[in-house]
Formats: sequence, structure tokens, C-alpha cells
Amino acid sequence: MTSTTATAPPVTVDPVTVDPVTVEILRNALTSAAEDMNATLIRSAYSMIIYEGGDCVVALLDKHHQVLGQSAGLPLFLGNIETCSKAVEEKYGRDVWRDDDVWILNDAYIGGTHLNDVTIFAPVFVDGVLVGFSATRAHWMDMGGKDVGASMDSTDIFQEGFRMGPVKLISQGVETDVVELIQTNTRFPYQTVGDMHAMIAALRMGSIRMQELVRKYGLDVIEAARDEIFRQTEELELERVREIPDGVYSAEGYLDNDGITLDVPIPIKLTVTVSGNQIEFDVTESADQTQGPVNCGVAQAISALRVGYKILVSPETNSNGGSFRPLTVKVREGSVLGAVAPAACQWYFSHLGMLIDMVSRALAPALPDRVAAASHGDSMIITSAGFDPRVGRNWVSMEATLGGWGAWEGADGESALINNVNGSLQDFPIEMVETKWPFRIREYSIRPDSGGAGRWRGGNGVIREYEFLADGVFGLWFERSTTPAWGLFGGDDAVGPEVVIDPGTPEEFRTLKVNARPAAKGTIIRLAVGGGGGYGNPEERDLEAVRYDVENGFVSAEQAQSDYGYTHDVPTS
Amino acid sequence: MTSYRVSMDIGGTFTDIVTFNEATGEFRATKASTTPGQLSTGVLGGLESMIDDLAEIDFIVHGTTQGLNAFLERRGVRVLLLATDGVQDVYHIARGPRMRLYDAQYRKPEPLVERKDVVGIAGRFQYDGSELVPLDEAAVREAAERAKREGYGAVAVGYLFSYRNPSHELRTREILREVLGDDFTVSLSHEAAKEWREYERTSSAVIEAYTGPVVRSYLVDLEQKLTARGVEAPLHIMQSSGGVLTARSARERPLQTLLSGPVGGAIGGEALTKIVGNDNLIGVDMGGTSFDVSLVVNGVPDVSTEATLEGLPMLMSIVNIHTIGAGGGSVAWVEAGGLRVGPRSAGAQPGPACYGRGGTEPTVTDANFVLGRVDAENFAGGQMRLDRDAAVSALESVGAKLGFGVVEMAEGICNVANSQMAQAIRTITISRGIEPRDFSLVAFGGAGPMHAVFLAKELGIRETIVPRFPGAFSAWGMLQGDIRRDFTEPYYFLDEDIDTTDMSRVLRGVETEALASLESEGIPAADRSAEHAVDVRYLGQEYFLTVPLESADEPMAEHFLDDLGARFAKAYEARYGHSTLGAPIEIVTLRTRVVGRLESANAFLIAAAEGPEFAHEIRKVIFDGQELDTVVTERDALRAGHVFTGPAIVIEATATTVVPPGFSVAVDEHGTLIITNLELGSEA
Repeated sequence: MTSTTATAPPVTVDPVTVDPVTVEILRNALTSAAEDMNATLIRSAYSMIIYEGGDCVVALLDKHHQVLGQSAGLPLFLGNIETCSKAVEEKYGRDVWRDDDVWILNDAYIGGTHLNDVTIFAPVFVDGVLVGFSATRAHWMDMGGKDVGASMDSTDIFQEGFRMGPVKLISQGVETDVVELIQTNTRFPYQTVGDMHAMIAALRMGSIRMQELVRKYGLDVIEAARDEIFRQTEELELERVREIPDGVYSAEGYLDNDGITLDVPIPIKLTVTVSGNQIEFDVTESADQTQGPVNCGVAQAISALRVGYKILVSPETNSNGGSFRPLTVKVREGSVLGAVAPAACQWYFSHLGMLIDMVSRALAPALPDRVAAASHGDSMIITSAGFDPRVGRNWVSMEATLGGWGAWEGADGESALINNVNGSLQDFPIEMVETKWPFRIREYSIRPDSGGAGRWRGGNGVIREYEFLADGVFGLWFERSTTPAWGLFGGDDAVGPEVVIDPGTPEEFRTLKVNARPAAKGTIIRLAVGGGGGYGNPEERDLEAVRYDVENGFVSAEQAQSDYGYTHDVPTS
Repeated sequence: MTSYRVSMDIGGTFTDIVTFNEATGEFRATKASTTPGQLSTGVLGGLESMIDDLAEIDFIVHGTTQGLNAFLERRGVRVLLLATDGVQDVYHIARGPRMRLYDAQYRKPEPLVERKDVVGIAGRFQYDGSELVPLDEAAVREAAERAKREGYGAVAVGYLFSYRNPSHELRTREILREVLGDDFTVSLSHEAAKEWREYERTSSAVIEAYTGPVVRSYLVDLEQKLTARGVEAPLHIMQSSGGVLTARSARERPLQTLLSGPVGGAIGGEALTKIVGNDNLIGVDMGGTSFDVSLVVNGVPDVSTEATLEGLPMLMSIVNIHTIGAGGGSVAWVEAGGLRVGPRSAGAQPGPACYGRGGTEPTVTDANFVLGRVDAENFAGGQMRLDRDAAVSALESVGAKLGFGVVEMAEGICNVANSQMAQAIRTITISRGIEPRDFSLVAFGGAGPMHAVFLAKELGIRETIVPRFPGAFSAWGMLQGDIRRDFTEPYYFLDEDIDTTDMSRVLRGVETEALASLESEGIPAADRSAEHAVDVRYLGQEYFLTVPLESADEPMAEHFLDDLGARFAKAYEARYGHSTLGAPIEIVTLRTRVVGRLESANAFLIAAAEGPEFAHEIRKVIFDGQELDTVVTERDALRAGHVFTGPAIVIEATATTVVPPGFSVAVDEHGTLIITNLELGSEA
């Protein structure tokens, strides 16, 4: 068993003192530099998953790889982008860094995500002295695995694509042969290299901003300010953790399966121990790593638990190297949350999304006003590929589907939102989908009755129905039918997901996970995503709220009758 | 005979009115109290206090916040939304992003239409605009009857692919009008925003439907009152994209006027370029609660093609204004032993501690006051006494926690606020590939001139400009505007698929229609002009850059696509620091802007100085911890040609300009203060 703590290395106290005004100025400057880097990346990216989905993150690190400033970015990239530059140093030593070098890495066991998440990073020098790092990570559409885009049934990492690094992408200002290797190995070289350049542009902006700050204030002042910024963050979080009543709390949930052995659920177990101003998350009792691709590296498990922690402890601030110091995480090597090579990692996040909600479930008795019931819980992915005869080109698509979120004390859950690991991802407009890919979206609607009943009702999922207008293949990764979104404090669980292919025909069949299945022109795929859990006893729900729900079609008249004993008077006009 | 050109800019508290006497060349500015509920009363009252006979007005322009206020206060009309059957939940799904990532209790922006007020209408186009399912006219008629029966105030229509084929939306309006009458507000998504992305386009139409009737009845009322008082000149309205419209056009397309008020500053900046001889200006407007930055690049206001209002999107041409929560009322506080300033504001109640209304937390205004940078005698035109003891004790309360004395605390608060404002300027310049040091900073609004020189110093900007009437700069700018109308035409092709002859034909068609629209605004042919641009991106990208074209005929020129690709690559390189010359490009949208030149007020001139002396006194003001002898003068005491160096403070009724040591001030013939960083030298 490996015990991993998320605590940063002790910082040596800098003799330089820095006044609170300079500290605050630098705190603002570092955060805004990271946000500006992110804007550059998003606006010059070539892939929809980055520019529409925001599946990316950027950060500025100090020379000890601690986060100085980070964009809001994808939550699951929280707190592991720094592992990349660290990995280089562990392998090659600290003297490896050179000005005008840029590095790249996508190793799932180092970065902790899947191969599609590519990190590009560079040392930042001022007058020949290493002052820190600029780093960016984004999702690349295709890494040359056995299936286009992503596989739902991979059983080792080699089937999922090529693994890099860390290796040099740019050496002394010149692109290396790695660029050629990437272009040769991806199915979409043009798009991929475009995204790569967008990431490098973001890095450059970060480097320039950091250099400006170092030149203006001096490295010693910045480092002293850093220590103070981290101290403030740490102090805030210690205070918040101290407010949580001491005790041992726990929660568990199940993934439906690993995508290979479909009838065996995967247990995830969390024990939370709160003692004074310290909090420990232990997930060592979770399942062993699986044959199918639902594994992740330790770094990623830590990220997910940090997200769960942050939601309850420090939701409003951007993270930095002082964050998460009250938190200790225990992960077992060889488990689904601490996978080792050559475990398949394509769907590394399904259990992580559930784990984030499990933190709230475990701590609900301690923090009833701050938690929410569970959300629909996963990205609910549909992929497709084929030849588009309208334009005479190949296409590949990947979309996440929206679902319902859990209710909390004082409000109903929200309907049709992206899941927790996908941040500010938006759905793709129908007009864009139908223009770019040979589909017709026949229905896109809020799915009534899918949220759990409660004093406060869970939000509803959505229905999205596709018709193929050309021959192709498709894949599905839908989760959380075994443990749909749970309610809290007497609120009901939500309805889970459901996918029907060719509904109402002799060919009709239902499935939640499928890999590269052929779909002839005219095939219909109807996706229905689950809702969020309810909060509190449904009997206590205000009947005026039920009436509103029925009138607006969020709850059917029948469901209102059975859940709330409410009879809807149909207006006789 | 005397004749006047007049502008009126309605703000939350005050309505600014600027008059220009065409006979004497004199400008005057005044503030009238805004009269919520019946805005035209305050507007007319203010006007009549400036001009005895309103019949002498021969040009009148208005920046109105009527639509914006109706939106912000949720006082719009009840809207029925007709949307493509099967996907009619698009408006409520709202694309589903979570904008606060660590908030498990996140709620979407509150929609303007309830779900039960959305009607699915059968009828469908394919992606290329060809009809797949005909419009269900009976369903439209039924919806119209419902709107009538249930008393809806407007109908919005948002069908898929209407930007490719508007026929279903147009036919829908015909049917609605048959039932509801010609005066009933119907907002069609392809008219509100002729671009793809159904949610954003529908949202634009809904906002227009929701606020349109309110704007319309206000304009009708104001026009009637002006006419009754003998005003014959047509009323012009400031539009969100800059430029003005006649009130008649604004009634048809009220969405264009939604941000009519806030854009005035950018338009003022545009007018100022002609006076100060620098085409590149950064406008900073600081009020009590917020700090707005806008840009004029190459003499033209920087415009975006979309914006959001309280999270709800609008696709329309709109002057780009970057706003952060930093203002005179921003509160300084301590968190975990660290200093924070804002974003919370003390607002008007209780306001800064020095207002003596019970505020106990120190604000940016308190800090400026204690440093001697606010004129306590003449604050708000002498209408308010400032309480120094209250300001000092508020500063002490926070300073004690950080080990700061009062003066250190006050300067610290100003420095943090200045750095936040400087970051906001960096965000809309440096991070978009624009070098701020090539710009002059223009300061306006009540608090802008108090901080602007510090921002210029931080950013390495050589010159700061404080125009005449900084408090009424927006209203002044409106007087300088031209009529401007923007047209978009979706035109989505990969470069190798473009038929350049067709592209030219489409552009010329739009140009003809657009120029004709100016005729109906009363602009003579000689004063009409058109310019074209095209949105370009690399194949597969979503965000685009708008690249200007030489003319509607340019696409037919030899090597046009190569030229366009090169122009795009150059713009892309400037913006993002990389580009791929020769890579396939897509064009997305054709844009045409027509301008109807209006005669503008001649530049105002002030008297020349008769000698270097001007009336002033010397007071102690604190800069960098030092109490320095500082020149304090009234703006009206300054004449063209006066020059002095900081530290200095220039006081006028609506603003105070603070000039720290190391800067010189020159007064030009228009009365503009040109403040130069002595270290960076004067222009070669």
C-alpha cells in the first residue's frame, strides 16, 4: 500500500520580507497571467473539444514546481500539472533545463489522465537563471490508438495510442523530430499540430508575463510573496477544515462495469477522517485495477479528491501551491485509483466523477448546508466516425451529453448541465453538428421525471436523438446505471441513463457501452441521460413548487401524484 | 439664428446633457437627475434648463438605458417563444456549461421565458438551407391565438438554420401579424442575429422581444414630447456597436440600442483621435463600483461580435468593453492576514466611510481623500461634506491588522486598486497581441482622471489625456458620431470551395441593400459609404478573426484567396504569436458596415494663455509616503498653452485629475490636459 500525501514540500523561509501590498499585487498578477494564457489557448485552438469544450488548463509554476497561478480550467487537471516538470527532473536531473526548450508528455502514469491529455511545458529563464515553468495541458482528439478518437474496450495502454515522454518538442528554439512523430501517428495531423501550436503560443505568453514580473520585482521578492500567498491560502483552508466536526465518515458507489466484463460492478470506497484542522481521504479499499479502461494513475485520484475537497472547503479561490495542505490522500498502488503499467486508462474519469460526489455524500452529516445530492455523474460520451459524402472527407466526432444535478438545502437541482469533471464544457450547437457531421438531431429536450423527488427536487437529464445520414461507426460510454445519482436526507435517487438504438423497430436494442459499432445510414440513436438526486423528504415539498414543475413539464402529472400526492387541476379553458 | 446640437446620456443617477451652440462654438455640459419610471421627464427637464427654445435644436442624439434597465430589473414583457419542434428546449438547456467550477450548488443564468411559454413548431431545414419539413402554419396560427388570448407582450421566433433560410421565420411573422396586428412585437432570430448557433441566436431574439416593447414605447413617448416642444430634428439613438441610428430604425431593431449608454465613452474616444492626433487610445472609465476599459484602434472603436448580459448571450456587433469590479467604492479588507481590495463595493449606501453615512470599511475613495487627492470642499460640486475622521478610523481599523499606519494603508489600497486596473488593461491589450505602449490613455468618468496617470506609469504608457468635461465625455462623444449600420451574411466555405464571383455578388447585394437603408435615414448619397470584411479562421477552428476587404469586388481579383490567406496569417500572427501561412482557411461570415456621415460639431476651442501664470494654490498631498507641495488648480483657470509639472491636482465639478511627480501637464487649444511621463520623454 502506498500512502500518498498531497502536501507540498516544506518551503524554506526566505529572508526577504515583502509588504502586503506587493503580495496582493503579485497574487492578482499571477492569476490574471494564467487566465490570459488560457484565453490565448482557447481562442487559437483547432479542436472543438478545446475551443468549445474548454478541455484544457494552464499554469505558471515556480522553480520548485509549485503552482503560482492557474486558470480555472478543467477541474480534474487540478493539482497534477506540476507532476510533469517534476518527472523531467527526476529522470534527467535539474541541469537539464535550457532556455528556448519546450517539453511534451502524455504518459498516463505520470500525468495520471489518459493519453489524449497532452501536457506541453517549458522552463522560464531570466538572464540565464531558471525562475519557473509555464505549462499547459489540453485534450488531443486522436493519439493513434486502435480506434478513432477513443476505444471503449481497450485492455492495455498500447491499444490506446502512442505514449510520450517526457521528451523535447522544441530544442534551443527549433522544433524536434517529435513533431514529425506526432504527425505520423495521429489520424488528424493537421488539427493536432494546430492545437500544439496554440498550446505553445499560450506557453510563450505565460513565459513573457513571468519574465516581466521577475524583471520588475526581482526573484527574491516574488519568492517571498509566493511564500506569503501560499501561507494565506493554507491558513484559510485550515480554518475551514477546523470548522468540520471531527469524526470518521464514509461513502461508497459502484461503476457499472469496466467495459469488458459487463456484469461485474466496480466498487469505489472512501473513508474520510477529520481531526482538528487536518483531513484525510482514504480510497485504498477500492477495487483492484481492471482489465478494461477505467483505471487512473495516483496523480489523478489525488486531483479528483482535491476537487471534492475544494467544493466544500474553498470553492471561490483559484488554487496555488498553498492549497490542499490540510489534506492527506491514501491511494493503493495497483487499484483502479492507483493503476500501474500497462493498465488501460482511456476512461480514467468515470469513477473520479463519482468520487467527487462521494466526498459530499460522506461529509453530508457534518456539512448538511454545504453539500448537494449527487449529479448524473459521467460525461455520457457518444463518438462516431466515417466518410462524409457531402464533402468527400472523413469525419470523427466526440460529444459529451448533459444531465441533471443534485438538489441542496434551499433549492432544486439544475437540469441539463455538464458533469463535474468537465468544467465549463458546452454542448455542441445542433447547427454546428449538422453542418460538420452527417447527422440530424431529431430531438433535444429536457427529460421529465428523471430527477429524484425530494423536498428539493433533483434536476432533470436530457434526451438527444441522432439520425445517421451516412454510413459510419459509433461508440458509447454511458455510466452510472448501477449507482444512479443518490438523494440525501430522505430525497430520492434519480433515474439513471438509457440508450436505445433504432427504437420501435425490429432492430431495436439497448446498451450503455459499445465500441466502434457499424451504423448504416438511417440508424437512430436515442440517448437519455439521468437526473440529479433529491434532497429532503418529498412529503415536505411545497405543493406550489410541484404545480410549477407540472405546468412547465419538469415533472409529469402521474409522477407528481405518486411522488408528492399532488393532483393537477387541468385548466378548463 | 442660434442652433444647437444636443446629446443626452442617461445614467443610473444622472443624465448628462451636452449642448453645442453652432453660432458661438460653445460647448456646455450639465447633469440632471435621472427620473426612474418616467425617464423622459428628467431628460426634457435637463434640456430645458440649457436651451430656452427647443425648436433651435437641429441635431439631437440620445444614449438610452431604457432597454438595459428593463432587462436588469426584469421588467420586460412576457414573451412567447416559437422554436423548432423536437428541439424547442434549446433555450432552456442553454448549452449546459457550469461557469463556477467548484460550485455544486450552481444555477444557470435565469432565462427570460418560462418553459411552458415555449411552443414547438414543425418545420425544418437541412444544414444547407434546403427544406426538409414544411412549416406547420396551423400550429403558428394556434400559437398566435394563444398569445392574443393570454396577453403576451411579444413573440420571439427561433428556428434551426434560419440564418441559411429565413422563409419559415418570415412566414411565421406574417401569420402572427394577421392575428395580432402590425404593431405587435415579433422578433425573428435571423434578424436579431444572422449567424449560426441556435441557442445564442434564439437568446438574442428573446432579449429583443423582452425589452423591445419597453424601448419602443419610451422612444415614441420621447419623440412625441420633443415634437410637442417644437423639436423638428429627428431623434437619433446611440447603438451598441458605436454609431447612431434614427429613432425610427431603433424602434424596429431595439436590440441594437441595448448598450446604448455604456458605449458612449468609446465613441468619445473615436472622436478624440481627431483632436489629439493619436489613432490608438485606451479609454478608462472609473465610477463608484466598476472600471471599464475600451479601445480605439486605428481610429475606430474595437468591436466584438457577441456579448453576454447576466450570462445570457447576444450575437451582435457591440463595442468591446472590459469591466472589472474596481471603483471608488471598492472595499479594502483582510483575509488570512493578506490585503484584499474589492470586488465588493460600499455602493451608494452606506458608501465610503468619508461620506459619513455609517460606512466603517475603508474604500478607495477614503484612501484618496486621506492622501489629499480629493478636494473636500468641492466634492460632488460642494453638495457633500466629507468626514475625515471617519475615513481615518476606517483605514486604521484595517491598517492595524497589517501593521500599517494610515498613510501607508491609504497608498497601499490605491496601489492594489491601480494594479487590478492595470491588469484589466493588460487583458484587453497584451493578451490580444496589442502593445499598450503604442497607445495614449484617455481618462473619463468621475474617478478615471484620479487614477489614470498611475495606470499609465505602471503600463509604460507615455501620454495620458483628460478631455474637456470628463464627467460628460460619453454625451460629448455621441455628438461626434456618424450613422452606422452593420450587416452580416453567413457564408461558410473552405477556401478551395469558394466561388469568388458568387462571394462578390453577395457582397454587392448586401452593399446595395445597406446603402439604401441609409437613404431612408435621410443621408444624401454623397455622404454614404460601405466597407466590407470577412470572418476567417483556419480549417477546423471555431474562433475567427475579422479581416477587412478592399471592396465588394475584391474577391474577383486575381490571387484573391492567396492575398486573403496572407492577410489573415499576418493578423493571426499578431494576435496569437504563431500562424500557418498557406494552411487551408475557412470563411464563415461576410460583414458589411455602412456609414452615413453626419455633420459633426466643430472642435471646441478655449482662450489662449496670456502668460505662463494661472490661478492656483499649493497644498500638501501625499505621494510615495512623502507629503509634497502640490499645485492645486481649477480646470476653468487653465488656458491653452499653460504647462506645469506634477505633483498637481486639477479640480472641476465632475472629476479630479491627479498628477504625481515625474509628469508634466500641457493644456491644448481644446482645453484637453495632455499629461506626459517625463522619464519616457516627449514625442520625437
